[in-house]
Amino acid sequence: MGDSHSQKIIIGNKIITREEVFEKKERFRKEQAKLSFEAKIETLVSLQEIAYSWGEKKDVIVWKL
Amino acid sequence: MKNTIKVINELKQKGLIKDYAIGGAIAALRWVEPFFTRDLDIFIILPKKLKEKKLIILSPIYEYLKKKGYLWKEQWIIIEGIPVDLFPADELEKEAVENAKEIEYQGEKTKIIAPEYLIALFLRTNRDKDERKIKMLLEQAQINMEKLTKILNKHGLTEKFVKYKEKYYGR
Repeated sequence: MGDSHSQKIIIGNKIITREEVFEKKERFRKEQAKLSFEAKIETLVSLQEIAYSWGEKKDVIVWKL
Repeated sequence: MKNTIKVINELKQKGLIKDYAIGGAIAALRWVEPFFTRDLDIFIILPKKLKEKKLIILSPIYEYLKKKGYLWKEQWIIIEGIPVDLFPADELEKEAVENAKEIEYQGEKTKIIAPEYLIALFLRTNRDKDERKIKMLLEQAQINMEKLTKILNKHGLTEKFVKYKEKYYGR
């Protein structure tokens, strides 16, 4: 696990490690937590639409905003 | 969503409920990153006349909603396109409603259960999905630990929280 975390990934002219990718993801999640309630509900409705169409969860009710 | 909140506010204005607050996943979502959920949980405090003789009488509320044309689907009542679960508040939930934070959703006033009370409520139900929500709240919301400790002590949830922390954080 430790080795794969420090493994370098080259994307174009950027070199990053898995660890840095996970750190960035975590920062993104914390930033998302600061969104307005309205914006979060909009995201939730998008997730419900995805669950309904892609996820084949036909029992999901997509909310009206 | 705005119209759903409006209808729930009407229940309060008409005296069918004394007070209410949004709980469950939607309340958690107010404090953490967005995640998938299906329904809107509303914790309600009933007027005294509706909770006599150890019976909880929700019929007037459901009659009112039925008259407005809202229908049931499985355990939910669909209010303005949103599946809603109405829970008569017990002691802990009542305290959570009374201490809920007032917010506005698209100009409509409502109340959302505070993160410290959500942690207590999720600890009590203690399903896998509740544990995940506690983790998000602890990591992403600003938790007043002193307030949380008081709530957990008062409602006998301290031991559960210790076990939770051992499971997820090894301490």
